[in-house]
Amino acid sequence: MTTTDTTVPADAPARDASAGTATHCPYCALQCAMTLTPPVGTAGAAGAPGSADGTDGPPVVVDGRDFPTNKGGLCQKGWTSATVLGVPDRLTTPLVRGDDGELRAATWDEALDVVADAAARIAAEHGRDSVAVFGGGGLTNEKAYTLGKFARTVLRTANIDYNGRFCMASAAAGANRAFGVDRGLPFPLADVGGAQAVLLLGSNLSETMPPSVQHLAGARERGGLVVVDPRRSATASLTDDGAGVHLQVVPGTDLVVLLALLHVVWAEGLGDAAFLADRTTGADDVRRSVATWWPERSEQVCGVAADELRRVARLLAAASPARGGAGAYVLTGRGVEQSTQGTATVTAAINLALALGLVGRPGSGYGAVTGQGNGQGGREHGQKADQLPGYRKIDDPAAREHVAAVWGVDPATIPGPGLPAVELLRRLGQPAEPATDRQAARPAGPRMLLVHGSNLVVSAPRSRQVTANLEALDMLVVCDFVPSETARLADVVLPVTQWAEEEGTMTSLEGRVIRRRRAIAPPDGVRSELDVLADLARRLGSDVHFPTDPAEVFDELARASAGGPADYSGLSHARLDADPDLFWPCLAPGATAPAGPDGTVPDAAPHPGTPRLFLDGFPTPDGRARMVPVDHVGPSDDLRPDAPLYLVTGRVLQHYQSGAQTRRVPELDRAVAAPFVEIHPVLAHRLGITEGASVRVESRRGAVVAAARLTTTARPDTVFMPFHWAGTGSVNRITTDATDPISGMPEFKVCAVDVSLAGTVVLPDALSPTSAEVLL
Amino acid sequence: MTTTRPLTRVVVVGNGMVGSRFVDDLLSRDGTGDTARFDVTVLGAEEYDPYNRVLLSDVVAGKVDVASLALPALTHERATVHRGTSVVHIDRADRRVLTADGAVHPYDALVLATGSAARVPDVDGIGTGGPLPAGVHALRTLDDAREIVAATVNARTAVVVGAGVLGLEAACGLARRGLAVTVVHGGATVMDRQLAPDAGAVAARTLTHLGVAQRTGARTERVVLGAGRAAAVEVALADGTTETLPADLVVLACGTVPETAAAVAAGLPVDRGVVVTAALASPADARVFAVGDCAQPPEGATGLIAQGWDQSRRLAEHLAAGAAGAAGVAADGADDDHVGGRVRLAGERLSPGRPSMALRLSMNVVTRPAAETAPVASIGASGTADPTVRPTQADDEASRGTDVVRLKAAGLDVVTMGVCGARRTPQPGARTVSLSDPDAGRHVEVVVADGFVVGATCVGAPQLGADLTAAYTRRTPVPADPAHLLVQPVATATVAASDPTHMPDRTTVCRCNGVSKGDIVGCWQHGARSVEDIAKATRATTGCGGCKDLVCGIADWLTASTPAEEPDAPLLVEPDDVVALHESHRGNVKVLD
Repeated sequence: MTTTDTTVPADAPARDASAGTATHCPYCALQCAMTLTPPVGTAGAAGAPGSADGTDGPPVVVDGRDFPTNKGGLCQKGWTSATVLGVPDRLTTPLVRGDDGELRAATWDEALDVVADAAARIAAEHGRDSVAVFGGGGLTNEKAYTLGKFARTVLRTANIDYNGRFCMASAAAGANRAFGVDRGLPFPLADVGGAQAVLLLGSNLSETMPPSVQHLAGARERGGLVVVDPRRSATASLTDDGAGVHLQVVPGTDLVVLLALLHVVWAEGLGDAAFLADRTTGADDVRRSVATWWPERSEQVCGVAADELRRVARLLAAASPARGGAGAYVLTGRGVEQSTQGTATVTAAINLALALGLVGRPGSGYGAVTGQGNGQGGREHGQKADQLPGYRKIDDPAAREHVAAVWGVDPATIPGPGLPAVELLRRLGQPAEPATDRQAARPAGPRMLLVHGSNLVVSAPRSRQVTANLEALDMLVVCDFVPSETARLADVVLPVTQWAEEEGTMTSLEGRVIRRRRAIAPPDGVRSELDVLADLARRLGSDVHFPTDPAEVFDELARASAGGPADYSGLSHARLDADPDLFWPCLAPGATAPAGPDGTVPDAAPHPGTPRLFLDGFPTPDGRARMVPVDHVGPSDDLRPDAPLYLVTGRVLQHYQSGAQTRRVPELDRAVAAPFVEIHPVLAHRLGITEGASVRVESRRGAVVAAARLTTTARPDTVFMPFHWAGTGSVNRITTDATDPISGMPEFKVCAVDVSLAGTVVLPDALSPTSAEVLL
Repeated sequence: MTTTRPLTRVVVVGNGMVGSRFVDDLLSRDGTGDTARFDVTVLGAEEYDPYNRVLLSDVVAGKVDVASLALPALTHERATVHRGTSVVHIDRADRRVLTADGAVHPYDALVLATGSAARVPDVDGIGTGGPLPAGVHALRTLDDAREIVAATVNARTAVVVGAGVLGLEAACGLARRGLAVTVVHGGATVMDRQLAPDAGAVAARTLTHLGVAQRTGARTERVVLGAGRAAAVEVALADGTTETLPADLVVLACGTVPETAAAVAAGLPVDRGVVVTAALASPADARVFAVGDCAQPPEGATGLIAQGWDQSRRLAEHLAAGAAGAAGVAADGADDDHVGGRVRLAGERLSPGRPSMALRLSMNVVTRPAAETAPVASIGASGTADPTVRPTQADDEASRGTDVVRLKAAGLDVVTMGVCGARRTPQPGARTVSLSDPDAGRHVEVVVADGFVVGATCVGAPQLGADLTAAYTRRTPVPADPAHLLVQPVATATVAASDPTHMPDRTTVCRCNGVSKGDIVGCWQHGARSVEDIAKATRATTGCGGCKDLVCGIADWLTASTPAEEPDAPLLVEPDDVVALHESHRGNVKVLD
């Protein structure tokens, strides 16, 4: 079968007319459980396609469903998510750019032939690596896996990476180095509810995944919520009234807070010496490295008073199990990870958790709060430049051999590591560069790019350069379900299924593998990416088998992951349908854990999955967690006389990522219709800016314009802009593409800017970047 | 790249906070294997691994574990460290260093990082040159700190000579241990180098509350010994009388003297410290450099660790860049601080481009010589302290942020920077705003010129001190009215759940679903009569649930203000109406923080 069928399969599980379809929200990594039911009065029309013709309301009704993560709650995005199924500009036919430069409707045959011909021709002329693939953290596990397999076996290009490089790469690098494995939360989210203290760095959960805030209630009741954020965000406000502490740091200096906390832990003897001795290596090096970060020095860098740092260190220590506390968690988010020292910051957070003896103990721990819907699974199954399925390293001969056997190809034909996302985007369409004093010679960049589940024009750092590079390609192919800003630049647009129209799995922020289920049939003319990639493989003459049934793809994915760090081999759609509480690694019966303490699993019983990692050891060669000294360097683009203010970026509750989906939901669009600049009243006064005025924010990379919002929640030296929009207020036009040296993650979150009144001219929110440039 | 050239031999004299940091800075910029260019020998006088001297006063105060002072030990394969080694002679002609154990260390580049010693005042009872009497201690080394801590076990009274930063930290630390402490200071107020009289007076009040008595404008005449150990200190007071202060323990905090003996013997130009150029090289020998407390750069030494670490970084960059040329020593010291962009090393440690703010910011290692005893002329050698010399823009930029002084005495918060206290000089166009609140132990002052903070003094206002430090070191724009720097706006009051009466209709009640009070009132008017009805109609409470109390409060308020009606009245809203209603209230919702 293919998912282009217009009828609902009769054997689809967990769905009947009365109970509705049990699935999960299409947006963030919390993956709130929801039930989809047909609209009242249309009970018999569950198989009807989404109202692509623009009539009536959404084709399904959303209701919250009780689940350990969201406890039945949904935010405004989730409640309104069904609207995206029926947006008026839903893509329902392939589009091919004609000789006149216009995108025109085409048949699937025509469109796929154009793509296949271009891929074959460009690879033949410029080499296989000149065809590149860009994936997304919103794709199901099955799609992410198939995309990686397609790149490595059909295109045989090294150049595949994904937008998770913008999200999770630093957390992944830090966790892999310290623990030997990267699972965002190595414990169930609900565990956090029992903690006495929670240290949250660079995460605005109240807006990014609101229902998760329920799990902070326990720490708040005990006065133990600590939020580190340059803004008094909605999440920081949760510390009000004695619920905790907000450390309003200077942007880009969160690492210093962590180094200072570590310093105090050691200076005051608050650490868990027995844990450090038994379960870690490198503690002495870290202790010495933080000797230079005494609180009064740290205060001068991070802007948090020394005694406040001491107070927080003591609060966390008092909550640690070694000191009789009820448990403590250290959690990081994009605010600290999207930095040129993101990996270092994650490492320091892990060091702190280890020094306090929190990791690998029930009720305590370190975790990274994954952002995108399948940001976890998306980084495990082979769409990362350096990885094969199961979170295996692509340069590991044993891994290549195993995966090649599953794919039925010669291991030697699998390419090596490709360019990580930011570098890949920088090289698109670029000619070869000879060696210079500053860099080695570079081959010519890719000439063709396939984009899946990503809206680079809005979401990539320094996005105008990225846009120019996309325009320089010979062939840009975009798979999407709406005409995103990136799709509009494409030579070929392929309309694909979304969320409630497809079966699959996602891996949530806590490493739980959950089922996405089909509630309605996709509109006519729309195909699943599984189907599209299989078809392209055939057209490109590949004899590699590409299943299109998601359950079958999952079974192959499970086999490919067997023995890898992210082992799914004990899972299947059927098992997940029966048990919603399965966390990876979950091994096939009889399999042996790749490393660490799990040992051989009895043949008879299915592996129970692993809700909590590290209880008995770490999957490192010696079973211990590695502590690595790190130091603070500061932002790549720090303040200077002509850019004396910090710009930080982030989200609003009503929008998701590039806004391609949420901006199309009228209720969300009305709530927050346009980007804005948060600015402290005292700074605004100095700059002559009033509420609502047009403000120009300029960095080394360009300028954007948006309306001022005066608020005392800002630091007077820092402005904030949300990043969900295209056009002249699209803040990623001016963010920096400098990257973390280890993770390759760009420094979205902080750069130096000048801020001024833009005057009264209201600039058009033009889609074309060029018109905006003229005006600016 | 030449791969066969012999390594440049760098000998570093001193294994303290700056010397060890320099070696790390240098080797982290060096290549590996065939591209390695440096071979480093470190000669350290103390027997210990490098440690954080700044925290010695915290050890005295019992605030930190001694083990936490240990700095990263040098483990690099091309760094050889000799501890407990004293330099006997520097032979510049043959480019070698002789040590007391008879070893000879040839060099291509010599880096002096010998630091400074505690200045021992010429006072009766202490003697000159020899070991200090029992019960009398300087506070400069780990051994000093350990001895003071040991002495506190039996001592009940203590006198601290010198009320600069280190003196006050020691005094507060000893008071924290329960000793009766008096500080004796020659200046008119405590910390008079940093604090103007009004600020000093506020600090003095706090000290008194902390149990630290003060004798200012006083001269230490004599340490009275009994049975060979300290018993009392005789002080000449400002009014001409003499007072005898009982003292089982005497701590000398009278500033420091750069360790320059080896440089003097080697014929290098030495003033207060080893004279160096902007490139940190001796003007007499381009192969000899000095960094840290022993050096006297053109802008003057501050005695702050930030300056030493900044010098360490600059010299490491300079040598690393120069090593590509001859003998590892470049001709001039052009500082590339302002090169745009930045190239990262493969590691995570340091950037060779723009100086890291972290390296440029720090706090004092030790006080400068107290006015009581220090020769005025030598203090004036500091360029930034001389009112007649305005630093050039480049100097200003280079040194900005390295002159923040942060006291870390338990119970007394003091931060000063730039134009403050003794360094206050009239500046055209400058504005000074101060707020004095002595009864609360608070005195704050900020000096603004050309739209930037150029100086500040904060006593008893720790978070404000941190904020002003950020504004000063980063040169962020100051408010149109500088008074706003000192007076923080009161945080916006949060809405009380129990009183929805005065809540504006636009106030967001449920953030997760963007529901305002007006939305809830509207749905009530359409027949909702319970929290459940409200949730169904508006989705309020259906996200994180954090607004449940607030919605209950509004429902109670609405119940109270709604005319009595039949119990169990059915919800009058039909599903379609609910949707329409919800939509209709969406347009004017504004999220208030």
